[in-house]
Amino acid sequence: MVQIESLEKYFGEDKERVHVLKGISLNIPEGSLYTFLGPSGCGKTTTLRCVAGLERPERGKIAIDGNPVFASGERVYVPTNKRPIGMVFQSYAIWPHMTVFQNVAYPLTIHRRPKSEIKKRVEDVLRIVGLHGLEDRPAPKLSGGQQQRVAFARALVNEPKVLLLDEPLSNLDAKLRVQMRFEIKALQRRINITTIFVTHDQSEALAISDQIAVMHAGKLIEVGTPHQLYSRPTRKFTATFLGLTNLIEGKVIEMGGDSKPGRIETKKGILSFIPATSLGRNQAAVISIRPEHIPVHKEKPQGLDNVVEGTVKEAIFMGDAYHCQIAVGDMLLAVHTHPFLNMSPGEKVYLYLDPQSCNGLPAEPRIRKEWMKP
Amino acid sequence: MKAFFSFQTLVLVGCSLFVLYLAGIPLLMLLYGSFRSAPIGEPGAAYTIQNYVKAYFDREFYFLFWNSLKYAVGTCAISFLIGTYLAWINERTNTPLKKLFMVMSLIPFIIPGILSTIAWILLLSPKIGLINLAVKGLLGLESAPFNIYSMGGMVWAEGIHLYPLVFLLMSAAFRNMDTSLEEAALTAGSSTFTTFRKVTLPLMRPAMFGVLLIMFVRGIEAFEVPALVGVPAKISVFTTKIFLAIHQFPSDFGLAGAYAVTLLVISTVGVLIYQRITRGEERYATVTGKGYRPRVIDLGLWKYVTCASAFLIFFLAVVLPVFILLWSSFIPYYGVPSAELMAKLTLANYKYILNYPLALTAFKNSFYLSVGSATLVMLLTSVIAWITVKSKLPGRIFLDNLAFIPIAMPGIVLGVSLIWVYLTLPIPIYGTIWVLLLAYITKFMPYGIRTASASMIQINKELEEASLTSGGTWFQTFRKVLLPLLMPGFVAGWIYISIISLRELSTSILLYSYNSTVLSIMAFDLWEGGQYTYVCALGVLMVLLLVAMAYTARRLGARLGIQA
Repeated sequence: MVQIESLEKYFGEDKERVHVLKGISLNIPEGSLYTFLGPSGCGKTTTLRCVAGLERPERGKIAIDGNPVFASGERVYVPTNKRPIGMVFQSYAIWPHMTVFQNVAYPLTIHRRPKSEIKKRVEDVLRIVGLHGLEDRPAPKLSGGQQQRVAFARALVNEPKVLLLDEPLSNLDAKLRVQMRFEIKALQRRINITTIFVTHDQSEALAISDQIAVMHAGKLIEVGTPHQLYSRPTRKFTATFLGLTNLIEGKVIEMGGDSKPGRIETKKGILSFIPATSLGRNQAAVISIRPEHIPVHKEKPQGLDNVVEGTVKEAIFMGDAYHCQIAVGDMLLAVHTHPFLNMSPGEKVYLYLDPQSCNGLPAEPRIRKEWMKP
Repeated sequence: MKAFFSFQTLVLVGCSLFVLYLAGIPLLMLLYGSFRSAPIGEPGAAYTIQNYVKAYFDREFYFLFWNSLKYAVGTCAISFLIGTYLAWINERTNTPLKKLFMVMSLIPFIIPGILSTIAWILLLSPKIGLINLAVKGLLGLESAPFNIYSMGGMVWAEGIHLYPLVFLLMSAAFRNMDTSLEEAALTAGSSTFTTFRKVTLPLMRPAMFGVLLIMFVRGIEAFEVPALVGVPAKISVFTTKIFLAIHQFPSDFGLAGAYAVTLLVISTVGVLIYQRITRGEERYATVTGKGYRPRVIDLGLWKYVTCASAFLIFFLAVVLPVFILLWSSFIPYYGVPSAELMAKLTLANYKYILNYPLALTAFKNSFYLSVGSATLVMLLTSVIAWITVKSKLPGRIFLDNLAFIPIAMPGIVLGVSLIWVYLTLPIPIYGTIWVLLLAYITKFMPYGIRTASASMIQINKELEEASLTSGGTWFQTFRKVLLPLLMPGFVAGWIYISIISLRELSTSILLYSYNSTVLSIMAFDLWEGGQYTYVCALGVLMVLLLVAMAYTARRLGARLGIQA
């Protein structure tokens, strides 16, 4: 539905010029809820604003529903108001001088639809977002959650091909935020509209998305379903940005293959692991293993590879789990254990690093923080 | 947003070119003239720097400079303190009777400068001043305690006359502020006063700085008080010096130009400082799409103190001058209130004015000019403010400076440059009402641009972008989203401009002809003839017209804009 090709964008002029998008290419399938995820300054909002036409990239191509809306080579640039989009802004941007009805009807009045049609469509869309009956309320008299619903109604009323959401949940309180996740997901599924969702909140992205594009420092890191990215990331940034993980450095000895795991030499000895396809023999790598994927044994388990010995440093009861820090030599591993397994500091334990949960990723050098400039 | 389609391009380019024409051409004529040894068209004229040598190497220049500075800073301080104080009480506190404040502040605001000056002469003159006579009698003093014919007297007359402008502009700024920012400070444990100092004041800084700048320039270009009070008192400022340079025989246009260029430099420095301070647009975007409601501070018992202080100000600024003007308009010859004169009260002055041959023409012309120039200026400057504040178009700073240039042109100099422009260019409007309209638009454009950009700065960008993503064109966005959001500032600016247009004197006096006579000219003629009582009657009629206009504008604006 939306194709983005080698998008390049700079901000500022001359000396203060910052390269904010460094060749972003994406293909967003029809009807999916597609999330741009990354830390602030990664270029996710800029990419979204380029799709909306609110920013004009320097190079690249953007097409919506097969029609190019921007192509630097052919000098194509469709202005924002001619693009088949609806957008929900971070501040909601509800016009304070209008009522709920006037706000929502705006996209239709702009296109001079007949009054009866406007009335019907506004009513329909307000029913969908659950604001039926509030038509005549002035915008400043709305709560945060209501304002957000008005923003959605306004974005949807003219039946756009693509719905753009710029961190729409960041202005809500936590409980409402979690509730609205479900509502947005349900709404999107019900009307089956291609949706681009921008967020820096990884749990939001995991909860809501069909697909996530992880972005960092103006580059696309990787794309996948929430499940893929969480359990089989192929890049170190993805593994650390999405959820909590433990990293163990090492050097690949053997790549394995088929159902056979590879082997890697680490400070904790030689371990079995599942290498990313981009790795090769003798290459520096890291193992990423999630805290909840490490079973803890009080007795040394027999007949298992990948067992390391450690000492419990801290164990915090969280209700649904113990969150422990376990010292393995000079390394601290985060481990989540079952709440019935009583853990106390100082205790000696054995950790089973299941090879299936050990994701081998290329050991990338730390990315320098110059992109932090807005 | 960088891609234009025809209509947007047309509006933007059209408005920019119009501003360039309005501000640029008179400026060029002024600069050109200041480097000429004789006016255009006279034989033997040559390029010279003699005018500047004459201006700057005269010891008098530095007295003038010092006087002008004292006068401008003094009026700026008085008007700003009074105006901001009243605006804050009115918008943000629970002071009783505050609903009266807006109305009462409009009264002195709409008294034309020439009338207010006359009123203060009638109140504070050492010989016939009502206040002086009353205080003298009350305390048994030998001599008059106050003297209008002094720097202090001039500053007072100007400051008390100008504060309502500050009140209007600051009220709009207070009203547009997102008060949750203050609530955040209060919940952080700071007191009402600390919050005002640490949150409200910094947030209001761009608006306040803009207002201060306007008041300073208003002080430095003021004409009526320096002409009617300063000239007899032999206290010269730049404007009266320029006026005298032109009105002496033979006129010294070159010297007047050199002084005017000096004023231009002063105000340009002001603009540059203003722009440096307000550069961070997002930082001050205090109107967002989130709902905002004004919050009122409970002053406790202090509310009676604020109420009393407001009424004292109104007594000085409104009741006394209006009383003396009304009194003088109903008496057959001038005298302080007495039982003898009470018996002779008459409507003869009004009858005389209404039967005055040109009265109807003057009323009509003034009305059309005032409504026309206020509307055109605010529409034009709203577009220009969008370009300078919201767009990233190249040359926008130049445009902002350009639109602000006329503020540095004293009315009398603008008048002279426009005579030159329309006698030189083949546009046959000289001597018609159109040249006055162009003059007014030029002259009042800077006030429009200040108000419009101060309001524009406060509108969050996303409100505009939401309209674009809804399918609105640039023009629809401007008309349906920006203009209504700008409405409080737009109306404040409109009222102000319509009022100063109606009382404009210093430019009109050089550009009017028989058929394009306006009310202020008529008042000036009567004053020149020493007919105090007729001037006062005409003044009362002008004021009634202004009250009707301001009232209508506020009602209309309240209906169109956000009612906070």
